[in-house]
Amino acid sequence: MVRVLLVFLVAMPLLGATITVRVNDARGRAVSDAVVYAVPEGRQLPLAKKTAVMDQRNRMFIPHVLPVQTGTAVQFPNTDDVRHHVYSFSPAKTFQLPLYKGTPANPEVFDRAGVATLGCNIHDQMSAFIVVVDTPYFAKTVNGVAEIDVDAGRYTVRVWYPDMRAEPQPRSIALTANERLSLTFVAGRANARP
Amino acid sequence: MPARSFQARLLYLIIIVLVLLEAGTLAAVRFAGRQAMERTVVDEVNTGARVFDRILQMRAGTLADQSRVLVSDFAFKNTIALADVDTVTSALDNHGRRVGANAVLLIDLDGTVRADTLRGRYKKKPFPFQTLFRDADSRSADASATVLFESQPYQFVIVPVLAPRPIAYIAAGFAIDERVLADVARVSSLDVSIWSTPPRGRLANTDYASLIHPVRTGDGSRINALLQRSLVEARKPFVALERQVFALSALVLIIAVFAAVLFARTVSSPLRILAAGAGRIGRGEYVEPVVVKREDELGQLAGAFNSMQSAIAAREEQIMFQATHDSLTGLPNRKLFLDRLSQAIAAASRTRGVAGMVMMDVDRFKEINDTLGHQFGDQLLIEIGRRLTQTFPNGTVARLGGDEFAVLFHDARDVTERVAAAFEEPVVLGDVSIDVNASLGLASFPEHADDAGTMLRRADVAMYDAKRNQSGVAVYEPGRDEHSVRRLSLMTDLRQAIARDELELYYQPKVDVRSERVMHAEALVRWNHAVHGVMRPDEFIPLAEQSGRISLITRWVIRKAIAQCATWREDGLDLTIAVNLSALDLFDSELPTFISGLLSEAGLAPEKLLLEITESAIMKDAAYAQKVLRELKRRGVCLAIDDFGTGYSSLAHLKRLPVDELKIDKSFVQNLSATASDDLVIVRSTIELGHNMGLTVIAEGVENAEAWRILKDLGCDMAQGYFMSPPLPAKKFREWVSSRVSSVTMIGGGRSWPKATTPGRKKRRSRKRTKPRSSGLDDGGPRVRRPTLILSAPCQFSPATTSAISDAARSRCCSHMGSGATRTCGASSLPTSRTTTASSSSTTSVPANPSCPRTTNSVTRPSTDTRTTSSTSSTSSTCAT
Repeated sequence: MVRVLLVFLVAMPLLGATITVRVNDARGRAVSDAVVYAVPEGRQLPLAKKTAVMDQRNRMFIPHVLPVQTGTAVQFPNTDDVRHHVYSFSPAKTFQLPLYKGTPANPEVFDRAGVATLGCNIHDQMSAFIVVVDTPYFAKTVNGVAEIDVDAGRYTVRVWYPDMRAEPQPRSIALTANERLSLTFVAGRANARP
Repeated sequence: MPARSFQARLLYLIIIVLVLLEAGTLAAVRFAGRQAMERTVVDEVNTGARVFDRILQMRAGTLADQSRVLVSDFAFKNTIALADVDTVTSALDNHGRRVGANAVLLIDLDGTVRADTLRGRYKKKPFPFQTLFRDADSRSADASATVLFESQPYQFVIVPVLAPRPIAYIAAGFAIDERVLADVARVSSLDVSIWSTPPRGRLANTDYASLIHPVRTGDGSRINALLQRSLVEARKPFVALERQVFALSALVLIIAVFAAVLFARTVSSPLRILAAGAGRIGRGEYVEPVVVKREDELGQLAGAFNSMQSAIAAREEQIMFQATHDSLTGLPNRKLFLDRLSQAIAAASRTRGVAGMVMMDVDRFKEINDTLGHQFGDQLLIEIGRRLTQTFPNGTVARLGGDEFAVLFHDARDVTERVAAAFEEPVVLGDVSIDVNASLGLASFPEHADDAGTMLRRADVAMYDAKRNQSGVAVYEPGRDEHSVRRLSLMTDLRQAIARDELELYYQPKVDVRSERVMHAEALVRWNHAVHGVMRPDEFIPLAEQSGRISLITRWVIRKAIAQCATWREDGLDLTIAVNLSALDLFDSELPTFISGLLSEAGLAPEKLLLEITESAIMKDAAYAQKVLRELKRRGVCLAIDDFGTGYSSLAHLKRLPVDELKIDKSFVQNLSATASDDLVIVRSTIELGHNMGLTVIAEGVENAEAWRILKDLGCDMAQGYFMSPPLPAKKFREWVSSRVSSVTMIGGGRSWPKATTPGRKKRRSRKRTKPRSSGLDDGGPRVRRPTLILSAPCQFSPATTSAISDAARSRCCSHMGSGATRTCGASSLPTSRTTTASSSSTTSVPANPSCPRTTNSVTRPSTDTRTTSSTSSTSSTCAT
């Protein structure tokens, strides 16, 4: 996390544009843990050689929603004293980490965009999402608001959130340096599909 | 047992009541049972429906649980998520079999079937039950519903395949097959079947209680469960109960009928005995007692029956005796006598024997009764009965009523002699000795009558003949009975005599002895009967008196006589008209007024009418007669005493009577001759007596010159008789008077009177010649002699008997003076005691005796026909006191 922030901090003075995205539900309430991300238009970004961590603590996945750039390797450390059997049958990333303790030797690399729904075969209530996006510009809403620092350029801004039924209409925007842009997405009904 | 008997009725009643009661009980049991059964069945069926629902629901839950467990299997999830369709299908098949599902479908999140166990029939098609799917999908949870799947009722369970978020849904279908229905049937004890289409019409089978229960479906299809409860099954316990109750009822009924029969028998058999006893009593059998050996009310009733029976027997005997016997004498009465007479006649006709009767009437019994009292009369009757019974110990002696007795005999010989012998001795009652005379009438079978009633009547007729003849005994003369019948028819004819103008007045002159002038004409009535010819008053006046028509006749006579008198007067013949009054006329208080009216109407002086009243009529009720006579006298009418010397009047009475004339009875005059000293003495003394009292004296019955001469010598004022003229019709009378006036006046024995004849007179006279004079009515016509009499005696009082006789009776008692030539029945005098003499012809000493023929029969008496006077009549005496 610290390293991500560092990346942002380094880039900001150079590019200087910020997108502020607000995600509300249909009743105007703020939607948290929504992933907003801006996909640059017209240029292919290299895969990230980054890592991320999906911790398992107190029989829960932490964080519940983990946005990563395509190609990110995610570690699944088990900090509980029981074993977990982490799996995903999602098309974005299908894998299993059968009954293990501690941190597996190899992280799982999420190299396809999409959402991987994680579960534990032992504990049905454990659930988490790894949102794999093809852009380094993404953020997770906190109290319905997320800020994405981007370089100047054209972007398609999209949003995903748990239980999303249908993806709100993506926004195509153009940003100049130091421009600050605000967008608002209205989430669909609460019982959306993943 | 009779159909309407007490026993039968009790039995019927008990049976009916019991049957009704038990029928009611059975009906109630049946009704309640059926109701309870029906309620139970309905409850069962309804419960069955709930059970059915519940079972399906539970099954759905169970199936959902099983399916959930199934899809939780990681390997299965893994397969679903990652394997190819064939693998998935085989997994579905495999796992489906584990839970016993008939169909398993894998549904993608978009509702499309990805795989199925039904040979892929649904692959890539939307899941058939989208509603159910959406229900599960919206909640990401399982859902179940009953649906119609491939035309079969199914339960479908949809469970999400969680990884951990739903990645797909598994739909497991379970056919609702017979096993399920068997489960329901087992739990609910109902017959259950299920239809996917609603049955049409009605369920015809009534042996089942049925309920069509719509199953709630998830796809809107119509599935119905038919829940049936066999009524036969449900009814079984109630039918058993009913059978028990019925059996019990029948048992009770049988017991009750037995009890009723026993009870009824204990009541009805004594009742039958009692009824039979009552029947016997009703038939008049009093011998056999009613036997009911019981202590209860029925036994008491039987005792009461027996008491009643003997009491009735005693009473019936008494009543029978009273009905057939006379209460005073204890002798058989008329009814019993007639019965016995009938029997005797019947017996006689069989044996060709004789049956006869004597009827006996105590002469002058009424006088005895009146004079000596009824108690004495009763005692006398008892004594007479006793004597007769003694005389005829083997015969039937009966009292027919009043003073009439009858004796039944089979041998006519000596009968009357024995009766007479019975009364030879006088009857002595207390200190009174009385000579009993009786008139006997005899009739017998086969000579006189062949039935009891006729014989009784004819004996009665004979008895009256005996009385009339004073013969004491008479045997029935054939034809006499019919005479009585004639009297009856005459009585009827008399009603119309006046209306038919059948009555006619005859007139007989009364001639002054000295001047030989006709002074009076006495009017005498004749009845020209259409059948019987001319009838004299003594034939019909008694009938008129009996039938109450005498006053009509009297008034007719007076009216005619006055009219005739007035006619003659106008014709230059100035006569006093004399009319006879009946004793009954003296009680007609209107008569004086009537007479006055007629006289003034005719313009006649009252003294031109002379009313003749017999001495006996006056004496009948002297006081009242005097009153009427005074009234007549006050109006100026002349009055005469008729038949003087026969009526036992006293001088004291005579003195009080306001009369003008005294007519000596013809019985003293008819045979008047210088040699007949008795009559001469009587006539002489009567003339003297009348003159001394200032009365005109007239003699009637002058039949010859000698009598005329003697009367003239004795100074008699007037004479009347056949010597001068018989009664003549008005016209002939007028002619007679005229001829006499024109002829030379004859004096003394050489005197000859003009002849006037009355047709048919001679014959009649001769026939009746033997009859003594007894009726005051006779005018020389036939004389009917009333019965003779029985009591006769001189009037001597012994001191001992004085107190027993009233002053009046004593004062009327007269001594017997005549020889009593007609008294053939031994009317002898008894010097030892006082008896009353009532010889019919003359001397009688009891005045005011209504039974005395003389007094009752006297009426409009055309008196003076001296030529018919019977030679047998006895002389009479005047009364002395």
